[in-house]
Parts: sequence; C-alpha cells; structure tokens
Amino acid sequence: MAGPFYFDHAATTPIRPEVGEAMAPFLGAAFGNPSSTHRWGREARAALDAARERLATCLGARADEVCFTSGGTEADNLAVIGTWRALRKGGRNAVVATTIEHKAVLAAVHQLAKEGGEERLLEVTPSGQVRAEHFDTVVRDDVAIVSVMWVNNEIGAVQDVPRLAGKAKARGVFFHTDAVQAFGKVAIDTARQPVDLLSLSGHKIGAPKGAGAMFIRRGTPIESLFHGGSQDRGRRPGTENVAFAVGLATAAECALREHDAECARLTALRDRLESAIRARVPDIVVHGVGGMRAPHILNVSAPGTDAESMLMALDLAGIAASGGSACQSGSVEPSHVLVALGVPAEIAGAAVRLSLGALTTDAAVARVAEVFPTLVAKARGFAAV
Amino acid sequence: MLVAMSGGVDSSVAAALLARAGYDVVGVTMKLYHDGDTTPDRPCCSLDSVNDARRVCEAIGAPHYVLNMQQPFHRDVVRDFVAEYGRGRTPIPCVRCNTFTKFRDLLRTADRIDARLVATGHYARVTDGVLHTGLDPAKDQSYFLWGLRREVLSRLLLPVGAQTKAETRAVARELGLRMVASKPESQDICFVPDGDHARVIAEQAGADAPALARGNVVTMDGRVIGEHDGFARFTVGQRKGVPGGSREALFVVAIRPDTREVVVGPREALAGLEVAARELNWLVAPAPAVGDRVQVRVRHRAPLVPGRIAQVTGDAVRVELEAPQFAIAPGQSVVLYDGERVLGGGVIDSRETEPAREPATTRRLPVIAA
Repeated sequence: MAGPFYFDHAATTPIRPEVGEAMAPFLGAAFGNPSSTHRWGREARAALDAARERLATCLGARADEVCFTSGGTEADNLAVIGTWRALRKGGRNAVVATTIEHKAVLAAVHQLAKEGGEERLLEVTPSGQVRAEHFDTVVRDDVAIVSVMWVNNEIGAVQDVPRLAGKAKARGVFFHTDAVQAFGKVAIDTARQPVDLLSLSGHKIGAPKGAGAMFIRRGTPIESLFHGGSQDRGRRPGTENVAFAVGLATAAECALREHDAECARLTALRDRLESAIRARVPDIVVHGVGGMRAPHILNVSAPGTDAESMLMALDLAGIAASGGSACQSGSVEPSHVLVALGVPAEIAGAAVRLSLGALTTDAAVARVAEVFPTLVAKARGFAAV
Repeated sequence: MLVAMSGGVDSSVAAALLARAGYDVVGVTMKLYHDGDTTPDRPCCSLDSVNDARRVCEAIGAPHYVLNMQQPFHRDVVRDFVAEYGRGRTPIPCVRCNTFTKFRDLLRTADRIDARLVATGHYARVTDGVLHTGLDPAKDQSYFLWGLRREVLSRLLLPVGAQTKAETRAVARELGLRMVASKPESQDICFVPDGDHARVIAEQAGADAPALARGNVVTMDGRVIGEHDGFARFTVGQRKGVPGGSREALFVVAIRPDTREVVVGPREALAGLEVAARELNWLVAPAPAVGDRVQVRVRHRAPLVPGRIAQVTGDAVRVELEAPQFAIAPGQSVVLYDGERVLGGGVIDSRETEPAREPATTRRLPVIAA
C-alpha cells in the first residue's frame, strides 16, 4: 500500500512488454540499414515498411503519409516550420496556434516570427476550449498553417479538432494537430477527419523515448528541417530507427486495441479521485472542467498551497506527480497554459497534475485520495505561520 | 532531514556527511534569482550549480529538489539591499537571506515534508542549542547567522562547522564528490556575481537613482574637495575612489544621502568606541542584560573586541567598546559573542547614537555628524 505510485503518465509511460519484444530483434541480429540492398538491408526495410503500414492503419492513413521522427517535438517542429516555409512564398505568411499549445509548437511559432512570419495566437475559454469566433477571425486566407493540440498535456482539455480542421480547410489553411496526448484517448481517423498534419510521440503510449511520428496528408507542402539523404521521401533524412519504428507501431496497435476499455477504466478512476479530493478539500480548483476532457489528466490547485512543496511532499510520500512545465533547472515555473486560461497566479502556482495510465490501480487512487488532502492540510497549517 | 544545497563544496559535504551518518537526507537547492542560465561558474543559482547539487544527491542516494524562491528572496533581500544603499548604508544581504529566506521560508518547506532537522554548509556550530563560531577562525560564518530565531537552533545541524575548509575539501575527495571538491570559493554576493553592486541598484531602482547620481566629496569641516558618481559606490572606511592630493590619506567617514555628500576625513576620524544597532536578536535565553561584558564584532572577519552592553530599548541596542574600532559602517552587522558562543546581533545604525547623549569626545563615531 505504501507505493510508490506513479501518477505522471502524461510525462511518460513504461514501455509495454510487447513493444520491448517486438523491438528486440532490431537491437540484435536484425541490425541492417533499410537503405542497403543486401539481405540485412532488406530485412530492416521489410520491418520498417511493415511498421509504417501498421501505424498508418492505426491512423486511418496511407503508408506514405506516415513519417517517423525522433518524437513529438520534432514532429511539431516539422509540421509548423516545414509547412510554413513551404507556403510563405505563396503569400500565406501567417501562422496560428492556440495559447495552450505545448512549447514544441509555441517555440516553433515564435521561431517563425523571427524569420518574418506573422504570429497569431488563438484564445481559449476558461475551460481550455478554443473560442470558435476567435478562430474564425484569426484563421483567414493569409494563414499558412494553424496548429491546435487535440488533448492538452497539462489540463486534458479536448478540442473539437475535426470541426476546426474543417473550418481551416474551407479557407485553404493547412491544419496541424499535436496528438501526442490524444492518441489512445480520443478516436483518431484521418480518413474522416480533415487534419493535414498530426504529431505522435511513442513514449506517451508505451514505446521508447525518442520514437515519434507524423501523419502528413498527401499533397501537404512541407520543407524538411534536416538536410541529407532521401530517407522518408526526403522529409526526414537520416538512417531510419527501425527498432523504434517497430516499437511505435506495436505500441499504437496495443493502445488502439485497449482504447475503449482503458478510457472507461481511467475515466472512472479519475472521477473517483476527483470526487474523493473534492470531498476532503472542498475549495479544490479543478482545471479544464466545463468542456470535453481526456480521461487521464486531473489538474488541481488547493488554494493556499504551492506546487513545489506539494510535489516534494507527494514524492516523499511515494506519489509521483508533476506541476507546470518544468524549466531547465528543474524548478517549477507557472504554467503558461493556466495563465492562458485566466487562472490567478497564486492558484496557478498551486497546480498539481495527476495523470493516470497503465500503472494506475484502485489502490493507487485510494492512496492519493488519502495522502493528498492530508498534505494540503499540512501545507495550509504552516502557510499561516 | 532537509539539507540546503547550493552546489558548492561546503553544503555538498554537509549533505554527504549526514547521509553517511544515517540521516534520511533530502537535498534542496533554492533558486534565488534569475540571471539567465548562460553565465558559467556563478556561485549559486546557475544551472551548473543546480546540476552539481543534483549530482551530489545522486551520489549519496538522496532525492534532490529545486525550489523557486525568487519572489521571497527579492522581497526580503534584494529590495532591502537596494533600499539600504539608497539610505547611504552598506547592507549585508547574506544576513537577511539567512534570517528570512533560509531559516524561515525554507524551514516552512521542511515542516511540510515532516523534516524535523535542517542542515546547511555554514562554518559555525550548534552545541546544546547555542550557536558557536566555526572551529576554523579563517572560515567562521557565525557573523552572518545572528538573525535566526532561537527555536531554529534546536533543529539546525552544521556539519562542516567543526572542520577547516581544507578538511572539507579532503572529505569531498574522500567521499568521491569530484564535481564539487575543487570548486573555487565564492566571495561575492550571489546576486552580484561580478561585484558590481551599482549595476544591481541601477537595474532595480533605475539608473537615475539618487544613490547613483553625482554628488560632492566634502571634508568633515564642509570643504568640497571633489565629486563622486554615486554615494552607493562608497562605504564608511573606504579609501578607494576618494580624491587624493591631501597630505594625509583620506577615508570615507560618513555618507549623507539627503545631500548626496560623501564625507571624508583622516583615519582617526573613523575610530568608534560605541555601536548602536537595531533589529536586535538574541540567540540565547535568558538574554544578556545591560552591563554584561561581551565580545563584539562589527565587520566580517574583524577581530573580536571586548565591550559592554550599554543600553537595550525594544529592538535597539547600544554597545560600548573597550578599544576603538575603525570603520563601523551603518548597515553592517554587530554581533555579540561570549567566547565561541554567539549571543545575538543587530544591524548597525550609528546615527542612532546622538552625540548630545553623552559628552562628546574626538573618538566618537564620526558618522554621527551625518
């Protein structure tokens, strides 16, 4: 019962046993370079081709629409920067993103502003939903690309991506979604949903860190970020990471197979945890409620506490959680997402994100439900000194 | 047990010694100010320092956390630092950092994680609940610790206070803490890494702050003998930057913020036989009484001089010295000792000592004239 208990699945997840097994040959005897024409190369190429097809199937895409990357950050950069650079000559110089994007998108957008692009940020409601009317005014025909994250990594807010993508398309604007937290949590089918680019990260779904992918719809102009060989149609030069591609495809299949049951299980656990905390900390602030929510993220602020001390105390009590985005030195800075939601600074500074997943059990939830309110009471008692 | 770790050798060894002694160590590095993460080799708060503290914790098997304390540090330390210079005084931010940031705010964090004990890498000792000087007189840091609440002492461990710096470095090597064993000593104020405190004042109070504006350098009898470019650049007792040309060496004897005058005089004019201080804090109970004989330190590393507690009114104290002390600078600390025991201290406020109160002598604090 003492744990430790892992409540940080939005940060990363353990590698699934099936994934480790599927990758093992390519970390051993099947070490070939997929670009080689000999048997070793063919063996690697076959695995890579199969992985691409399997992942494409998971996304409702064609194999040539899948591009493997080193993770979510590279995919986001390639989508935003690569598409803008390819389109700016045609008079579409603006780039749009929500204020609650992951830094991988926001920093890429800021980079484009430095390169002469026009940066436009989309406002969100206090529950973290894109303001539809603001979307309509901002996403005009001078926009190259708009990026809207499907599931927010800090608060779990789910955007109506199919609808927003449809609106963008109607104006000839390319649409990117960061689906790093969404895959396995919302239904994704690029055959029916008009997104042009979609980022994935392996380590959020049980594949290794360093494995990522992007869906790039046929016909989407994109300039490579790297310069080198012609791997992945020149979109991503560099010898392909066969083992990680296989791992990512395997993890994606596992995640889809368990999608319905796991979402139901996590929703029930999340709701139970939320109401248990609410019962003992009645003034708890739960972030991102009021709109669609992903099942695995619970972000709460207990007024009168601070996240750093809470996370430290939780960790020492055997509960792993996280706060706002961690800065370089490992110190917790106020979250730009909560600031964008209009959360007051002192409440944002108390935000603790509990994210659920494969390791979350009934016992784990019971333990947090017991410990968290106790630590809140302790923090408040001493805060009054 | 919570150990405050700057990433330097002293606090690293403190943590390692405690871990070796079987304490359940939790390392905490306080981020006190932000100056970009690119300046290498800064004494604390840089990315390198945080990394070093984390590496030490990894080596000793202790969890390590970074606490962002920029706001309270700015409120309690940096702001006072700038304001004191504006009042023509010479503050010691380390004293306030210890009093407020480390041993009040950090202690609250310790409470929240049920850490009964806290430790730092200061060269001082706590024996039977009483603060003592560090065993190595060359490294003794007790002068900076007079502002602690007495209750804190019963929870405080200072493991390196009973050894010399050389021994600390040797222990660091012995324990395999190569990342910190040979780090250079930090001498500067942590948020003034280049020693240019005027730059910090300009950043905080504006480049047009009166403390940085031109003013006159005057003699004690009122003669203007030159100009200066900001009285904040001067400290009582300072010789550097004082116009030459006189037959005898001139020192800053007073700073008058109202008129922005820096008053200079001969060395004799710096001699003081009495210190008046505020924010008096006693570290022992019962507190010493008026008339008690004590040893007095008016500057970091200044020799202890015998003295007598002459008056205590609220948080103000007046101490008479048996031998004249030079350069008693307002804003610095006066710390009272009984041998190795630290009794308490206060912030020097010489202007409190009005010359009229007692018969004037030529050896009285010249700052009174300000």
